[in-house]
Amino acid sequence: MVFSSLIFLFMFLPAVLALYYITPKRFRNLTLFIVDLVFYSWGEPMLVLLMLVSIFINYIAAILIGLYREKKILAKTVFITAVALDLGLLGFFKYAGFIGETLHFVLPFLNIPVLEVSLPIGISFYTFQTMSYTIDVYRNTVKVQKNFFTFGTYVSLFPQLIAGPIVRYQDVAKQLVERTETLEQFTEGVKLFLIGLAKKVLAANAMGNLWDSMLEAQSSGGAVGAWVGIIAYSFQIYFDFSGYSDMAIGLGKMFGFDFIKNFDYPYISKSITEFWRRWHISLGTWFREYVYIPLGGNRKGLPRQIFNLAVVWFLTGLWHGASWNFILWGLYFGVLLVIEKTFLLKLLKKAPAALAHIYSLILIVFGWVLFYFEDMGEMWAFISRMFGSDGFMMSSNVSALVVSYIPLLIASAIASTPLLSSLYHKISSKPVLYIADNVGCILSLLLCTASLVSSAYNPFLYYKF
Amino acid sequence: MKLKNLFKYLPAFVFCGFIFTFMVLWILLPKDTFSEQEKRELADFPELNGDTVLSGAFQKDLDSYLSDHTPARNFFVGLNADYELASGRNGSEGIYLGSDGFLFPKPSKETKQLDKNAEYISEFADDSDIPVYMTLIPSSGYVNSDKLPLVHEDYRDGEMIDNFSSKLSDSIVFIDVKDAFEKDTGGDLYYRTDHHWTAKGAYKCYALLGEKMGYAPLSEDCFTKESVDGFYGTSYSKSGLWFIQPDHVELWSNKDQSSGSVTVEIKDGSDKKSSDSYFFREQLKNDDKYPVYLDGNHSLVRITNTGASSDKKLIVVKDSYAHSIVPFLSQNYSEIIMADLRYYKKDISLLAEEEEADAILILYSLDNLSQDNNISYLF
Repeated sequence: MVFSSLIFLFMFLPAVLALYYITPKRFRNLTLFIVDLVFYSWGEPMLVLLMLVSIFINYIAAILIGLYREKKILAKTVFITAVALDLGLLGFFKYAGFIGETLHFVLPFLNIPVLEVSLPIGISFYTFQTMSYTIDVYRNTVKVQKNFFTFGTYVSLFPQLIAGPIVRYQDVAKQLVERTETLEQFTEGVKLFLIGLAKKVLAANAMGNLWDSMLEAQSSGGAVGAWVGIIAYSFQIYFDFSGYSDMAIGLGKMFGFDFIKNFDYPYISKSITEFWRRWHISLGTWFREYVYIPLGGNRKGLPRQIFNLAVVWFLTGLWHGASWNFILWGLYFGVLLVIEKTFLLKLLKKAPAALAHIYSLILIVFGWVLFYFEDMGEMWAFISRMFGSDGFMMSSNVSALVVSYIPLLIASAIASTPLLSSLYHKISSKPVLYIADNVGCILSLLLCTASLVSSAYNPFLYYKF
Repeated sequence: MKLKNLFKYLPAFVFCGFIFTFMVLWILLPKDTFSEQEKRELADFPELNGDTVLSGAFQKDLDSYLSDHTPARNFFVGLNADYELASGRNGSEGIYLGSDGFLFPKPSKETKQLDKNAEYISEFADDSDIPVYMTLIPSSGYVNSDKLPLVHEDYRDGEMIDNFSSKLSDSIVFIDVKDAFEKDTGGDLYYRTDHHWTAKGAYKCYALLGEKMGYAPLSEDCFTKESVDGFYGTSYSKSGLWFIQPDHVELWSNKDQSSGSVTVEIKDGSDKKSSDSYFFREQLKNDDKYPVYLDGNHSLVRITNTGASSDKKLIVVKDSYAHSIVPFLSQNYSEIIMADLRYYKKDISLLAEEEEADAILILYSLDNLSQDNNISYLF
């Protein structure tokens, strides 16, 4: 189930809110756990078992690690086994096909069969969550959770289950056991959820339509069309992902949780380094905490640091999808970050702000080309088009389409900056603030519902036969 | 609770009020089985058992069931259309809003199908023993180009029709009506809310076909015109722009037509029905009134008129645009057999032979012919 669907908004959510708030406090985690499983199994009835297995492995492993903490070798064995199982499941379900294909390509004479495994939704997210817990227990930075349902609730919590943010156990350990839901927090949650919903339904979906049309236009879009298209995709992916995170954080608040911020206006960055501090913050934090720093971070000299960065960015790319273009995309940013660390960042700080913005945006937008095209041939054709292989101008039909999206493109650009947020926070008069709040909420609710209802409205011209 | 706090937390109440009301209405409101505006059956409640749940089929079907039966569906569809229009996206539902309340389907794209159809039709005509006439009707957007919105895709109907007719074999008499249509500035050849032509548009084509097809068209004042209001066409349903004013349909009848001279026999496979009028008035109850002409799309329709100016027999191979022109043609052909290749799957050459027809007219709108892959059923 996705948040931006009628069935979630107008069946699942009201039912769950009612169920949750009539449940006595001490059973609320159990209620959440059960609805989480319903939420997950809605689209993947069988694969919910896989998630339960994953929860069970880490639950037991953590208890054993806690039990044998004095016997270092035993604890270490349990820890390594658990992490290996986590990565093994992720590897099998997400990467088996990819690894098979790659081996088949490199060593064709081995005749390795290529497995076709369907990717369980959210596996990359929940595996990283369970691993953060087991690792932290092993490091003795968090306490072992003995209650299976509490731990299960943490892993499967439906707001962040399928698209993050990746919540580390240490960040919510306390809230899991004792949290007070307040009307104030609930209201904040509603506002954030509706902002996220509007980002997803009104901005991301429309930008996605524009991007699809530009892909369909192919050569008749020319270089200008290719750039408009990839800019539309840049907006789509930002509003889609950050909208989803906002909805997740907002929903979390409705149930008394506080999750960390996942996006912080990434497109206003003045360097790639800054971009990655603002984009998918929870993933960056995870890799820094559990890969980069354990590898030695920047404490073991420059060559080692570069090696560590290469590992982190190879994995970051791979995490996004089982395809070479994601690895390419990850390494592209890895290289840019190394260049910035060695000298460019100092220059950028001295450069005019506009120049730093343009530098960052061009590289980020170009990165999305690598991210989008899984087929290297198509990627190359698109890059060539961006540089004029099919002429520069758009055909008149393509221009007509692009012109009709200009208001939304401008709105998207504004919404990618903190401008509206800072205007909102400047409102000092309470009545104006309340009006802004309510009008915003009602507009978002009505327009998003309208858009979702419309997408199921299909007039059929020739009904007969 | 203090009044100040009530305002502060109002969004939470608004949100919960909205989603809970929606849920309750969703469950309780009676469900239609058919959508008049979409002209399709709505989904039934899916089968619920262990298998359908475990395979995920139940969940998927429940999704479409619920989407088909959302409360205030038309209100939300309209709101979305208005919002898209207001945010600059005229035409995003495939329909442009032009001036004077005109709705235009977006232009059809150049397709390979059109070239293929030219080949099929040429081959068919080469083998035919009787004359084959053809005409292609341009789209409303092409003809009413002065009413199109400022920014729109190109309507290249003129080029496409010329290109198509140049590919036809010499055994076809192609009658070009697009120039005459384009020069007409009355703006009443097409409906505002539908892609079809009006009775006026059909009459104009009828008058133009006469010279080549060898009949003397009746003059406009031979007809009495009856006007029926409240017509909301398919462009209207698709657009979601509910504020557009309705159209009217006109029923043109020959003043001298004696009662009982006309019969219309409709055959869909084994289903048959007949009438003594070109107009099927029960269709006027619906929002979409275009099927008033010859009852809309059917596989085979036989129209006879004992008062016609000749006792010739004409076969019309067609799409729905023919329904409003055939009553005019019927003034000059004592028998017309109208075949719709989308439903009639026996070949037309055989039909022409069996019926001992005198001529064949192939009449399509450009938009339909460029998409239609049933033309191979001609022979």
